[in-house]
Amino acid sequence: MTIIKVRGLHKSFGHLEVLRGIDLDVAEGEKLVIIGPSGSGKSTLLRCLNQLEEATAGSIEFDGTELTARKTDLPKVREHIGMVFQSFNLFPHKNATENITIALLKVKGMEKHEAERRALALLDKVGLSDKAGSYPQELSGGQQQRVAIARALAMQPRVMLFDEPTSALDPEMVGEVLEVMRGLTREGMTLIFVTHEMKFAQEVGDRVIFMDEGLIVEEDIPSQIFTNPTNARTRSFLSRVMK
Amino acid sequence: MDVVWHNIPYLLIGAVTTLKISLIAVTFGIILGLFAGMGRLSSNKLVRFLATCYVDFFRGTPLLVQILIVYFGLPQLYGQGQTFLFIHFGVGHAVTTTQISDFLAAIIAFSLNSGAYVGEIFRAGIQSIEKGQREAALSLGMTPSQSMRYVILPQAFRRVVPPLGNEFIAMLKDTALLTVIGVEELLRKGEILNSNYFKPFQIFLSVAFIYLIMTLTFSRFVDYTERRLGVHDHN
Repeated sequence: MTIIKVRGLHKSFGHLEVLRGIDLDVAEGEKLVIIGPSGSGKSTLLRCLNQLEEATAGSIEFDGTELTARKTDLPKVREHIGMVFQSFNLFPHKNATENITIALLKVKGMEKHEAERRALALLDKVGLSDKAGSYPQELSGGQQQRVAIARALAMQPRVMLFDEPTSALDPEMVGEVLEVMRGLTREGMTLIFVTHEMKFAQEVGDRVIFMDEGLIVEEDIPSQIFTNPTNARTRSFLSRVMK
Repeated sequence: MDVVWHNIPYLLIGAVTTLKISLIAVTFGIILGLFAGMGRLSSNKLVRFLATCYVDFFRGTPLLVQILIVYFGLPQLYGQGQTFLFIHFGVGHAVTTTQISDFLAAIIAFSLNSGAYVGEIFRAGIQSIEKGQREAALSLGMTPSQSMRYVILPQAFRRVVPPLGNEFIAMLKDTALLTVIGVEELLRKGEILNSNYFKPFQIFLSVAFIYLIMTLTFSRFVDYTERRLGVHDHN
């Protein structure tokens, strides 16, 4: 079953056309990886999927709801689409637990003790049960990103979007975050990754999309695209990033 | 110096009035400022325009003139409005003289004035919060107003404590302007004393010291609050 359906998506910032006609179907439960050089539009595509960026033209359907329609209740839709950001974006005035519970309390209207129970369970899941009362600035980058993942998971979204989740991390912290994400791929959730971690892409992706200059240039199963890319641009990109 | 020592209580009564006006006006100023600041950032053009007009007018004209407009101008406007209603619609009665208490005029003028400055402080505070904070809040399903209320404003408030403190101190000093409409605040009390004893140096220096004690106390208090709030916000 298709959960996300994108047709003819265009996005411009002023005169700069970042997305130039994207068609994409994502199946429920699929692990999709988007790769490509910087400036290829992959983050913008991801951010259009939950309408943090408004599409200039084209349509984006989430579970049958047209997101670009004026009357769409975007906050409602976004409850079902979790997002993890490159820069974590934890709330600095809230501790780890409160970062996770705030949307449960304010958006879902959940009871405080129930929200806290869920937060603690999720912190345990990302290996941070001992950091429940810590504030973001008391945590390392890797720990912050794991809290951010727990925060997004708390809403029990149907889709999770990862926007270069390890790009802002010191190298020694990349592993712990990848480990958490690897764990998620064993569950049924639909996951979309924008990443530069090619090994990870190869390992967890059901399908890999290569983007360049605002277009999807090539898409295939990982074993195919990484070993035998058909497009010249894909080949040249992969030869630069794979050592 | 005896003149001063004997009349300290008299001056302190004025200082209390000064403090009262400052505290009440800054309270209204913060409320007005919150609206003005958010209005300046509104996506609605009309709201943005009105908020900008408000801020520009009260920051761009002398406070003394604003005080005179409120104290002398508003009663005139009110009287003329009443008379107009009476003559044309037979409502109410014709008013020949109306007055507004000098204290109320002071509160109105200072609240409006400080609302404009506080509005700019809030606007800057809100804009200083990283874009990613709002995006994270929205991505969790919050509405734009929830993200403002639970994520942006609590962080912005911490950042605006120092400039708000400065604004309060500036306003406290500006209340000396109220002598022109006869509000018996600290400076006015000094003037009255001086007209009785004619010891301007001693009297006005004492007045200055009382202002200084108040402003220093508040700036220490602001420093303390800033340190306390700063504990969990280093980004």
